[in-house]
Amino acid sequence: MKVVALVALVACGSGSDSIEATKPTPLVPRREVVLDTGTQPHRRMVQPEQFLRAYLTWFGGLSPSEVQKQAGRGLFDQWNDYIGALGLPDYRIDVPRAGQSNPLMLAAIARLGEALCVRASEHDLAKSTPLADRQIFAFDANPSPTLDEFAKGFDTLHRTFLGYPAALAPPARVGRFYALYQKVQTETQTRTSRSSLAPVQAGWAAVCTALIQHPEAQLY
Amino acid sequence: MHRYGACLIALALLVARDASANKSLDDYRYFRALNLDLQGRPPTRGEIADFERSDFDLDKWIDAHLTGPRYVERLQRIYMDLLRLELPATYRFEPGLTSLYSLQVTGPSGPVDIYYRVGQRRTNPAIDGQVCFTESESGLKVVEAGRRGKGTPKVISQKLLDERTVLVKPWWLYADHDAPSPKDRAAPSWTSRFPGLDVVWSMFVDPDGAPTSAIRVCKEETQTAAMGHVLATGRRTKADPIPDGRTTRAPLDSAFATSHAGALVSCTTALGYKSSNECGCGVGLERCLPNAPAAFVVATKAPLGEDEPFVAGPKPAWVWLQSWWTAEATHFMGAIFGDDRDVRELLTGRGTVINGPLAMFYRFFTGATCCGNYGPELGFTAPEPLFDPKAVPAKLGPLEAGTWVPVADRGPHASGLLTMPVFLTKYATRRARAHVLYSAFLCRDFVASKVTLAPSSEPDLTKRPGCSACHTRLEPMAAYFTRVQESDWTYLPASTFPVSSTRCAAPDAKRMRPECKTYYDPAFTNASHAMLRGAYAAPANADQGPAGLASSITQDPAFAPCVVTNVAQSLLGRQLTPDDAAWKASLAKAFVDGGYRMRSLVKAIVTAPQYRGNGAAGGTK
Repeated sequence: MKVVALVALVACGSGSDSIEATKPTPLVPRREVVLDTGTQPHRRMVQPEQFLRAYLTWFGGLSPSEVQKQAGRGLFDQWNDYIGALGLPDYRIDVPRAGQSNPLMLAAIARLGEALCVRASEHDLAKSTPLADRQIFAFDANPSPTLDEFAKGFDTLHRTFLGYPAALAPPARVGRFYALYQKVQTETQTRTSRSSLAPVQAGWAAVCTALIQHPEAQLY
Repeated sequence: MHRYGACLIALALLVARDASANKSLDDYRYFRALNLDLQGRPPTRGEIADFERSDFDLDKWIDAHLTGPRYVERLQRIYMDLLRLELPATYRFEPGLTSLYSLQVTGPSGPVDIYYRVGQRRTNPAIDGQVCFTESESGLKVVEAGRRGKGTPKVISQKLLDERTVLVKPWWLYADHDAPSPKDRAAPSWTSRFPGLDVVWSMFVDPDGAPTSAIRVCKEETQTAAMGHVLATGRRTKADPIPDGRTTRAPLDSAFATSHAGALVSCTTALGYKSSNECGCGVGLERCLPNAPAAFVVATKAPLGEDEPFVAGPKPAWVWLQSWWTAEATHFMGAIFGDDRDVRELLTGRGTVINGPLAMFYRFFTGATCCGNYGPELGFTAPEPLFDPKAVPAKLGPLEAGTWVPVADRGPHASGLLTMPVFLTKYATRRARAHVLYSAFLCRDFVASKVTLAPSSEPDLTKRPGCSACHTRLEPMAAYFTRVQESDWTYLPASTFPVSSTRCAAPDAKRMRPECKTYYDPAFTNASHAMLRGAYAAPANADQGPAGLASSITQDPAFAPCVVTNVAQSLLGRQLTPDDAAWKASLAKAFVDGGYRMRSLVKAIVTAPQYRGNGAAGGTK
């Protein structure tokens, strides 16, 4: 009874100002949003198994344990340090294969690429190695190449790692890699870098390493 | 005319030289994609040069590469990604029946390694169920099998050594271990003779550093009989006195031993090992594995196959053996894809492919889990194998790890991957087995859209509110695995284990006999019958076994589209979308019409614009 009286009191005592109704505003005009539901062009990631098979091939078809021995000496410790980062599935603990790249994966690929390129430049770009025995740098490397001379060697590497002639790449690519080559070669000549490689070897090893890490090398 | 011909030749040469100019970037990318998928790697410079030739026939190239090992690997990866057929490190197949441990004792001329099985039955009660020397004889207490004995060693006389042990030339030390006097001892030449076999050479050195020519094994373990008589000792309760000379209790007689004293049991079953003192490790110990911490080098990371390990190390023999279970599944898939056989065989095929270690496993080891603690009480004393040991090729020795031999028919219960040890142990429960098959081969999953989980005492999950949404489908599928024991491959024969048993019927399910409770489900037991565990939702499926499920899945209209989806998605590197529906349907039809062959399906995918342009197939806006 007390509660009813209280409610009635509150209701009667609320002689407040009336609230004005909001003025009607027109609706936002209807506009069509176009959604593209079509399947978009899409590049696949190279599977880690495909990368590893390619890597062994670039090393001259060696077995994984032989590659570990060849590539070692400060550049490559053991497969166990890298293989887990490449995005392989682990069926034992139901880890699926990586569907996207990540920094650790790219760093592992970069390290493996560097090991390959440095060892290959040591072998292939030694004067005593006949052209036919050169696995990666299968060209005569002029110590101070012109852009045209560089482009020929670059095309060889471009075909090896990206699978097509450099002439079909965006026009600025050769120039950019030429600049990289010159920078590394000059730094090695002036010994601002601590590379044990000859300037020409260091220059080409840098180009090779950059190509292995190129997004086009990781996609298809 | 002559001059005209020369002009034509010159023109042709010019065209040929300039052929690369006719290839577009997309052409090169397409060729690279084909190489990655069918050769397992990008093209070499030489292969690119071939591709640039005007007479290069890409269609012919594709056909030639739909047969090789890399193509097979690519398809294996698709199904291995779906099924993940590798066992976790926590799974260990090291039953007492097959595990030979060693204990270093002191003989008259120095330390001697004695090999024995934990639990080996012996007539002498002082050493029954343990190593064949008592603590008082050797001075050593075995706290943990395989570890050094604790205590001060006593010298065991040569007479006692010769009385209790035998020198044996085991299979891992002699390739001709089954010869009357084996001579073909382990040598560096084994590396080339037995590819795929990598032994740890420290296993072949005696404690004194001399090369091992034979190992000393407790006498009972060296027995070779196929059957042994059940031993009844009269020791029945823990109150029985501990026999003289030992500090631990001797094995007690099981109810089976008491009721079947003198009966014959198979020595390749756990039952024979536990019940008979006449069962041993067979000729050259071929029914046992050396349980040293490092026996064989095993590949632990081999993404390109067991022939090209990236990480490998010394492991116990049981790890080595288990690694071949996975290899059996991949070789089985490889044989189907490589020979372009009907893909339905993945589930229905009664054949398989095995190597030497697997031959040993299927001949002697699969009974190691038979017949449970309570099986014999219900008359289950001999396994009904999923892989008939008689089907194992006779000449395949345990060291022939690199020799893979097809087996046409494993036996009536065999059914593709479904009855392989790696599948049955990776997916330990009936429901897990059904679920993975449902998802990998029908591309469906169990997702309850809207459920309300109300408290319920309904044991039938196909009826219980909330659960029924998924279990109505799952339980009948799981029922096909009723007869294959969980976490195991032991097949429960219908003659001993009828789906509906009157023998195990119990008015009060809580008071079921333990042997019945192990195999029959108290929730579905009443005064008139008991239901075999896992069968309640579809008793008829239980009797069809895994082969029934394989048949049901491969006849499902969703099977072929699912194969197409799995293969296409992997090759395209993306999910199929509604825009791909018509293409997928046409691929599925062609796949079925072509007899479920993978080669034509893969060719149809890699030559489709969806693959070549990789997705630029248009769509609705």
